[in-house]
Amino acid sequence: MNITRRNVLLGATAAAALGSVAARAQTSEVVIGVIYPFSGASAQMGVDAQKSFETALDIINKNHDFDLPLAKGEGLPGLGGAKIRLVFADHQADPQKGRAETERLITQEKVCAVIGTYQSAVAVTVSQICERYQVPFISADNSSPSLHKRGLKFYFRAAPHDEMFSAAMFNFFDAMKKKGTKIDTLSLFHEDTIFGTDSANTQLKLASERGYKVISDIKYRSNSPSLSAEVQQLKTANADVLMPSSYTTDGILLVKTMAELGYKPNAIVAQNAGFSEKALYDAVGDKLEGVISRGSFSLDLAAKRPMVGKINAMFKEKSGKDFNDLTSRQFMGLLVMADAINRAKSTDGEKIREALVATDIPGEQTIMPWKRVKFDELGQNNDADPVLLQYIGGKFVTIFPPQAAIAEAVWPMK
Amino acid sequence: MTADAIIQSLASGLLMGLLYGLIAVGLALIFGLMDVVNFAHGEFLMIAMYATFFLFVFFAIDPLLSAPLVAAALFVFGAVVYLLIVRFAVRAKANAGMVQIFSTFGLAIVMRGLTQYFFTPDYRSVTHSWLGGKTVSVAGIFLPVPQLVGALVAIAAFGGLYLFINRTDFGRALEATREDAGAVALVGIDKNKVFALGWGLGAALVGLAGAIMAIFFYIYPDVGASFALIAYVTVALGGFGSVFGAFAGGIIVGLVEATTAMLLPPSLKAVGIYAVYLLVVFVRPRGLFGSM
Repeated sequence: MNITRRNVLLGATAAAALGSVAARAQTSEVVIGVIYPFSGASAQMGVDAQKSFETALDIINKNHDFDLPLAKGEGLPGLGGAKIRLVFADHQADPQKGRAETERLITQEKVCAVIGTYQSAVAVTVSQICERYQVPFISADNSSPSLHKRGLKFYFRAAPHDEMFSAAMFNFFDAMKKKGTKIDTLSLFHEDTIFGTDSANTQLKLASERGYKVISDIKYRSNSPSLSAEVQQLKTANADVLMPSSYTTDGILLVKTMAELGYKPNAIVAQNAGFSEKALYDAVGDKLEGVISRGSFSLDLAAKRPMVGKINAMFKEKSGKDFNDLTSRQFMGLLVMADAINRAKSTDGEKIREALVATDIPGEQTIMPWKRVKFDELGQNNDADPVLLQYIGGKFVTIFPPQAAIAEAVWPMK
Repeated sequence: MTADAIIQSLASGLLMGLLYGLIAVGLALIFGLMDVVNFAHGEFLMIAMYATFFLFVFFAIDPLLSAPLVAAALFVFGAVVYLLIVRFAVRAKANAGMVQIFSTFGLAIVMRGLTQYFFTPDYRSVTHSWLGGKTVSVAGIFLPVPQLVGALVAIAAFGGLYLFINRTDFGRALEATREDAGAVALVGIDKNKVFALGWGLGAALVGLAGAIMAIFFYIYPDVGASFALIAYVTVALGGFGSVFGAFAGGIIVGLVEATTAMLLPPSLKAVGIYAVYLLVVFVRPRGLFGSM
């Protein structure tokens, strides 16, 4: 028999059809793709993310007595107790590599869902590929608001985005002003990819709406060898609040340069990212007493919900670190996806999508201070309330909103 | 913008520029000596920073003290890299240029990969050193002590290198080999020994820069990349093959960067460097102080 392209295609189609019949008959394994930077400047984020996903995997695949989706019993009951297997892929913080790796995950590794990506710039391409192949994508820890506004049907985000985070910051400023604190002028300091740019645009808009004056708005190149010119400008402006949107490396350099050039702002209110990283506090924590960062996670919650502390201990055993804002969102990302696959009772992309649309997980069944997990028509969970955390005495305490706060804000920072 | 702010920016630019110069000098030395571009130059810087970091963490040796140790270690490392890799790469019969590029480029990737494997990609930092975080203030201008010392070390290292090349027999052999590697063999100079020395010196200089930088910069496996790019531009701007040019080029790059950041949005500050570079290449293709 001559092997023609048509025969090969026919054969492949037949094999695929057989394969899917077999898969439906007994699915013992559900494969989910996890795409993060595992090499390059942000590789540590990927390493930490992997530990977080493995913690979530442990909870799903093994029997635990937690009030979380899928914690009790082993595997996914909706699929006959099938276990989840994760395939990790490295996008190296490069949107094009993210595109290629997602395609490989879907076509070669046959994943039925994808979770990622740390960098919002990479989430853009990863979610587009998922959309094309009709594979659901959970954006676990990306915070750029523009991500969910593209009308993608297979894009979901359980966590807050930067507009929600920034709104929380300005609500906090308003509350502080009411108490008599002088907050009139702001300095924005943001990196030049989608994360920093989106964050700054949101903050500019909110500032003008609520009557705050942005007296310097500095967009800098990420991973610059030196930030002294930038810090010099911040120092000259000397606003009431400095609002950085930076990843870890730039955050460390920013704080070191500020100390060198003798710039001490009254308050720093950071858009998370680098400012929620242990590495940054190891390096320059002594200069950051009283810094405020936004988050969607706080270990304080363990006082109200003891399972948070227990799960944190599980994660700490694997990673040597406490959960932070990023790793906690990654953990929840996998649980939300697994819960949907379980209810879909299928690994079919469209069925999982329908299950995600129907998701409604009460806040108490998460490790987050969220009201619940429920997606709007754009795939965004609007009930993921952010919190503001202040770094006091070597750890973060929740200071805002009032219903979640356990301490008053220290202002000025020191 | 006040006069203070302008002077401050220029002072910061000058301090940074001297450091850029120190990083670039080693690259220029090796290039001038044997026409080989070391694409692993940034990774040499990176391992010097890690060496400084570990000497600090495990033996509590202050970066200022470990700088000569690190430079010496890098000297040996550079010579070994020449003897084990570059010596064979430059001998390639076909596609010699490509073989040379890919051997040092490959070395860079291997070094980065091994560092990430053994030391994890986490960001390290020398948390408290004698100089770290200290600043002197002169007439309202802040000069960070680590950068200030770095600048002095850079000037001293450059002076030392200048004397070494011009006043010692080995330096003269280095210079002669640079002029005509074939002819020196006739007078009994071992070319390989001179080249190995050149690689060692180049690596030691960037090692010195790495040790000083560990005081005020963060350390991770990819840290060399952003500095290496500037070093290549610096060498090309200052003049191919000119050690003095690389040093002057570093200062120019530092000042141009600071000036651009004052005039344009800071995210565009690298644009100034490349604009000046293009201008120089147009007017004087061999670079400002190039002799080729």
